[in-house]
Amino acid sequence: MAKKKNKQLIRPWCWYCEREFEDEKVLMQHQKAKHFKCGMCPRRLNTAGGLAVHIQQVHKLEPDNLPRIENALPGRDGYEVEIFGMQGIPAPDVADYKRRKEIELGLAAGTISQPQPKRAKIENRPIAEDELRRQLEEHKALMGHNQAENSTAPESSSGAVYGAPQTYAAPPAPAAPPVVPPPGMLPPGMPPPGAFPGGPPPFPPFMPGFPPGGPPPGFPLPPGAVPPFPPAGMPPFPPGPPGAPGRPPFPPPPGFVPGGLPPPGFGPPPGVPGASPPRPAAPHFVPAQMHQNQASPPPPSSTPGASQPATPAPPPQQPAKPEPPRPQEPVRQPKLTLPNPSLAQTNPEFKKPTDLKVKDANFSPEERRAIHPKYFYSGVDTSQPSSSHAEEPRGKKRARAEDFL
Amino acid sequence: MSSFDESNYVTVPSPPFDTISSIRYHPSNPDQLLVSAWDTTVRFYEIGEPGGRKNEAKAKFDHRAAVLACSFNMDGTRAFSGGLDTSVRELDLGSEKISNLGTHSDSISSMTFARSTNSLITGSWDRTLRFWDPRAANAQTGSYTTPERIYSIDHVNHTLVVAMASRLFHIYDIRKMDTPAQQRESSLKYMTRSLACMPDGGGYATASVEGRIAVEYFDPSPAAQEKKYAFKCHRQTIGDTDHVWPVNALAFHPTYHTFASGGSDGTVSIWDHKVKKRLRQYPKFVGPVGALAFNCDGTRVAVGVGYMWDEGEEGMRSNQVTPWVGVRKVGDEVKPKSWTGN
Repeated sequence: MAKKKNKQLIRPWCWYCEREFEDEKVLMQHQKAKHFKCGMCPRRLNTAGGLAVHIQQVHKLEPDNLPRIENALPGRDGYEVEIFGMQGIPAPDVADYKRRKEIELGLAAGTISQPQPKRAKIENRPIAEDELRRQLEEHKALMGHNQAENSTAPESSSGAVYGAPQTYAAPPAPAAPPVVPPPGMLPPGMPPPGAFPGGPPPFPPFMPGFPPGGPPPGFPLPPGAVPPFPPAGMPPFPPGPPGAPGRPPFPPPPGFVPGGLPPPGFGPPPGVPGASPPRPAAPHFVPAQMHQNQASPPPPSSTPGASQPATPAPPPQQPAKPEPPRPQEPVRQPKLTLPNPSLAQTNPEFKKPTDLKVKDANFSPEERRAIHPKYFYSGVDTSQPSSSHAEEPRGKKRARAEDFL
Repeated sequence: MSSFDESNYVTVPSPPFDTISSIRYHPSNPDQLLVSAWDTTVRFYEIGEPGGRKNEAKAKFDHRAAVLACSFNMDGTRAFSGGLDTSVRELDLGSEKISNLGTHSDSISSMTFARSTNSLITGSWDRTLRFWDPRAANAQTGSYTTPERIYSIDHVNHTLVVAMASRLFHIYDIRKMDTPAQQRESSLKYMTRSLACMPDGGGYATASVEGRIAVEYFDPSPAAQEKKYAFKCHRQTIGDTDHVWPVNALAFHPTYHTFASGGSDGTVSIWDHKVKKRLRQYPKFVGPVGALAFNCDGTRVAVGVGYMWDEGEEGMRSNQVTPWVGVRKVGDEVKPKSWTGN
C-alpha cells in the first residue's frame, strides 16, 4: 500500500530495538518473535495490544501487572504505542531515527528527513479546503481505526494528519513539512487550522522531535496556543510502569477533578471511557513537535484550560475510571514498613570477603517481590468487576484492530 | 560433580509460568502433588514413572494474586491455598471448585494442615497465626498474634514451630495456643529462610539466607539443647570471595528422617543430621531451588526451580530461569549409612 521513500537509505526498522530489516515482512516476523511473544505460553501475537489482551484474558493478569515488552529499548517497552511493522511509530521517533541515520551514513542533514524536491513542488501551493478534506479522509482511511479514536473535529486535522503515526509508508503523512511558505502567509506561531502538512519549518535542517526542550526564550506565547498534554518539552513517552498503581501516567492538569468532567478544552474521552492509552499517544506529542517546528512552542506552564483547536484532545491519558474512587478505599500500598522497628535487624559483618546474595536483613525476598508492580495486589476487591468492565471495550477494540491488520 | 541430567527427573506437564512457591505431596497417594506458584495458580498433578504411566495435570486453580502456600487436607481430596491476595481458599480437587474460608490482613506466607486436630493453620505477614476448619459455621476457628511477620510454619504431632522475621521463633502446643510454649531467637545470625520439623518429633531444622542450616531440638533441657548445631552449605568460593546463597527449602524424609535442602545456588543436598554428614549432593539444577517435598512413602522427591527474587527485579532480567518442577526417584542416598531398618 505504500511507496517506500528513501528505500535504499532507510530500511524497515523495529521501533522496539532499532534493528534494521530487509523488508517489512521480516520485520514483522522479528516483532512477533522478539517483542510480541507471550512469556507465559508459546503464543505469539501481532501487536503489543494483542499481547496485552492475550495476557489479560488468557493468563488473567491485571492490566497493571503486564510484563514489559521483551527485548525493547528502555522507554519503549510499554503497551502505549501500537506498532505493527513500520506502522504506528511515533513521528518524533521516526524523525529522530532518520536524523541519526543521516549522521551515521554521513549524509548532509536533511537528506532523509527533509522533503523530497518533487513533493515540495506539489505542496508549494495553497491547498483547497476540499482537497484538504479529501486528503484527510484518505489518510484516515489509511490509518483505519487509529483515527477513529481521535477527535474528528475538522480543527484537529492539522494535528491529526501531521501526527499520524504512520510516517514511513504512507505518502500523505510526511515526516517533515516539505516547504517553507512565503513568510507572512501564515500567522507566525499559529498552526493554520486545517493546514495540511503542519507548519512551515523555520530552518531547513530541522530536527523534528529531537530537541524536545523547552520553548526558546523570548518567544511570546501565542494567545490561545496551548500545549497539548503533555506539553512540549516532555520526553516522548514516559511510559512509566503502567503497573505503578494509583498513579496516573501524567500528573493531572491543574483543576483536574477526579471523577469529574475533564477540564474545559479537553474533549471528553473520545469514544469509550476506557479508551486505550496507546492510540492517543502519537497525537500527544506530535503537535508538540509542530510547535517546535514553528519555533513557537508554548511554554509548558500555560493553562490547559484554554482551548486549542489544532491539538487533538488527549484525555485518555488522564486517570480514567478506576482512579478516582481509590483514595477513599483502604488500599494496601506497595511499600515495606517494619511493623515493629525496635526489632529491626542488621546483618553482622563478614570476616572474609563475601558475596551474600540476599542482603536485606529485614524483608524477605518474597516481601520485596510482593510489592513489585508485576505482583503487587492492592487488595481492592471491589475494583475487580469495575476495572474488568472498563477494560472490556479496550479489549474489543484491540480485537478489531487485529482483524483490521 | 556430575552435571545435571534431566532424564533422572519426571517433569510435570504444563508447569507453572512463574517461580514455584511451594510443593506439597498427597498424604497417602505417592504420585500426587500440589504446586503453588507466583503465576497465581495452584496446580494438582499426578506424576508416574519416567517414560511410563500417566503424567497428568489433573487440576488448575487460578487466583487473583501470586500463591505462596498450599496444603492438602486430611484425606487429600481437597486442598488449601493462600498468598498475596490474603484469602484462605479451599480447593476441591475433584470439581475444581474454590471456596473462600476467610482472609488475613496481609499476604499468607505459609500453611500446614494439622491432622491431629483436623485444622488448617496459616501464617501471614500480618503477624497472626490463624486456625481454620472448613466444616465449622465460622471457618476461622482461632487467631493468635505473633510479634513479627510470619515467614514459615511447620508442625509435627502437637508441636507447631513458627519462624518469623527478625529471627524470632515461637514453639506452640497446638492444643494450648494461648501462649507459646517456647520463644526463641534463631541461632543463625541472618534472616530465617526455611523451616522443617523432624518427623520423629524431636526438633526442627531451619536455614537462613546466609547459606547455613541449624538443627534444633524441642526439649528445653540443657542436655538436649547442647546437641543443637549449625553448619554452612550452599556456598561457593570463587577467587577469594565466598558466594553465599539462601537456603530456600528444607524437607525431611518421612521414614529415614534425613533431610534435603535446596538453595538459590541451584543445588539440592541430602543430610543425615544425626551423624552430621552430607549423604548426597544432586547435580546443579538450571536455576535456584525454591521448593522441595518428599512423597508420603519416601520414594520420590519433587524439586521446584525458579528465580527466587534474591537480587530483585535486576536478577530476574539478568538470569532468566524457566520455572521447572521435576520428580526424582530417590535411592539409598537418603538412607543413613547406619540404617538397620525398623
